[in-house]
Amino acid sequence: MTTTTLTDTAWRQEVDDAPVTLTTTDDLVAVGGASGTAWILEAADGRPAGTVTLPGGLLDLAFSPDGEHLALTGPLGYAMWTATAGHTTVNETMRWSARARWASERVAVADGRTAIVLDTGGRELWRTEPATSTVTDLAWLRDGRRLALTAYNGVRCHERHRPDPIAAYTYVGSHLTIAASPNGRWICTGNQDASIHIWRTRDASELTMSGYPSKVSRLAFDDTGRWLAADGAPEVTVWDFAGKGPQGSSPRMLRAHDTVTALAWRPGGSATLATGGSEGTVALWDAAAGAPGRPRTSARRWELGDQVTALAWNGRDRLLAATREGTIHCLTPRT
Amino acid sequence: MPDHDSRVPVTVLTGFLGSGKTTLLNRILTEEHGRRIAVIENEFGEVGVDDALVLDSEEEIFEMNNGCICCTVRGDLIRILGALMRRRDSFDRIIIETTGLADPAPVAQTFFVDEEIGSQLRLDAIITLVDAAHVLTHLDEVKPEGVENEAVEQVAFADRIVLNKTDLVDEAHVTTVRDRLRAVNALAEIIPTAHAGIDLGQILDVGAFDLARVLQDDPRFLTDTDHQHDQTVTSVGIELPGEIDVERLNDWLGELLGAKGTDIFRSKGILALAGSDRQYVFQGVHMLFDGDNGRAWRDGEPRTNRMVFIGRNLDRTQLERGFAACLAGVPA
Repeated sequence: MTTTTLTDTAWRQEVDDAPVTLTTTDDLVAVGGASGTAWILEAADGRPAGTVTLPGGLLDLAFSPDGEHLALTGPLGYAMWTATAGHTTVNETMRWSARARWASERVAVADGRTAIVLDTGGRELWRTEPATSTVTDLAWLRDGRRLALTAYNGVRCHERHRPDPIAAYTYVGSHLTIAASPNGRWICTGNQDASIHIWRTRDASELTMSGYPSKVSRLAFDDTGRWLAADGAPEVTVWDFAGKGPQGSSPRMLRAHDTVTALAWRPGGSATLATGGSEGTVALWDAAAGAPGRPRTSARRWELGDQVTALAWNGRDRLLAATREGTIHCLTPRT
Repeated sequence: MPDHDSRVPVTVLTGFLGSGKTTLLNRILTEEHGRRIAVIENEFGEVGVDDALVLDSEEEIFEMNNGCICCTVRGDLIRILGALMRRRDSFDRIIIETTGLADPAPVAQTFFVDEEIGSQLRLDAIITLVDAAHVLTHLDEVKPEGVENEAVEQVAFADRIVLNKTDLVDEAHVTTVRDRLRAVNALAEIIPTAHAGIDLGQILDVGAFDLARVLQDDPRFLTDTDHQHDQTVTSVGIELPGEIDVERLNDWLGELLGAKGTDIFRSKGILALAGSDRQYVFQGVHMLFDGDNGRAWRDGEPRTNRMVFIGRNLDRTQLERGFAACLAGVPA
């Protein structure tokens, strides 16, 4: 194995909590701590620029595409922070808010069994009717024209401002995460029963990728919608959705971790995937290379010495990695 | 239980409204002061201690697609426990308080099914509180066809039963209640008390696998032949000298729990496996089962196998025959 250890790091910063999520803009990085504080750092050098707190803990953070607004979600509600005004609107609903997902100037946040769409000021625009159980994840389809949410027993898709679903995809089981290809052609969920369930939206035909050793709680499509990366095994699996999709195919398998704890595709469609693991490694892969079904190792890796808990790209050249003890590494992959 | 187990213990407190759960929980939080405790409660109680993290949760029962028809888990607990484990301030103890109407099986099964949870948290014990004055009424309540009697389930699933409010009834009634609880669940230790005033050491860090003493205390149920083939929830205990062939055991349990797992609520055992100098401790919830090495057999200690089943329609003869066929060296 010819492993090169790259040590290129632009900066490091410590935060006083276990980070669970990262989000970036051109200028800023936000680090979400499990206990509820989000640290805002300067993307250039990691200098602290402020904090925002959501009472009860944090589950997700998401900067708006224009970088002006930060949505925060957690076990007891959600909040919106506006960078220019330094102003925060907190909504303590006492309901589980698993996720925030932006589509231009609107953000969908999970609110218990419902998803609520907010404007940049945190004001409610519309909400979905309640699902049968707590919403675990959200995704926008077709440039924000359609919202998909997943909960126990399947996926529901909503047109904007329509509380009732325009389509419901049912599959019994506990769905933990959702990924939709940008063109809206595929909807995939990662499941508690150690499988990935896939729907082709055109005709609702479905397939299940089973055989994972453990639950699948992270799924991510790359920008082009061709590649889907998943956890659920010591190997990261990458499914090829070119042409008719992955039915009958084997995934590419990337072996670097004990347990996969983070996935992040490099923006811009180069099929470059960053992955993090419980053993403290960040690995960089060309997912298109190699043969399906044959595990391979990464040529590029960083040993951070502590469990990786979140990854996020800042542009194409900088990769942010957070570790459990609270160190944020700004890595600069040479390509 | 191996000595090096560093997983955080989880105690499940269950029992009907009015059985004293909130009183007991508040006592734990007060007396375990200084320890970091997270409480997950299903109904807003009157829990109020500053250094405990109290989280509210609405019961969400999820079926699993794992071929196990009675296998349900608590989706809400998977979520909340998952978020708790990601926090840096790890907890000394987690307590899950369930509603009086909750089925304990999905709670217990959550620890078997979710690897992330099972690797970091240890289900220490299910503690069921019962009200001495009212429990018989609850146990005897006739439910419509297909509806479980929650009181029976909670007693059947218990590792310890706190028989509370004994000051409100006379001694004869306490004896009647004890006998009745024992008939349902011969394995759980019954702790009589008033005002939930028990020694917390009896319910915390119990190590649910600690069976030997209970079985020695009351060997009576090992031969009890009452209640065969009936709908009443009972216990069947079996004791066998000799050594068990682990492959035969796995085959038998897989087959037995696959076929009868709906009726068998819990199964537990301490076994002497052929070729091992340690006890093998085993427990199952419905169709799911799991085992691990326990302490070493002591010098001169007879290598014997004890197994207990708690459930409905238990056929002692059939269970005894199946278990005996797992002995090493017995012709298959």
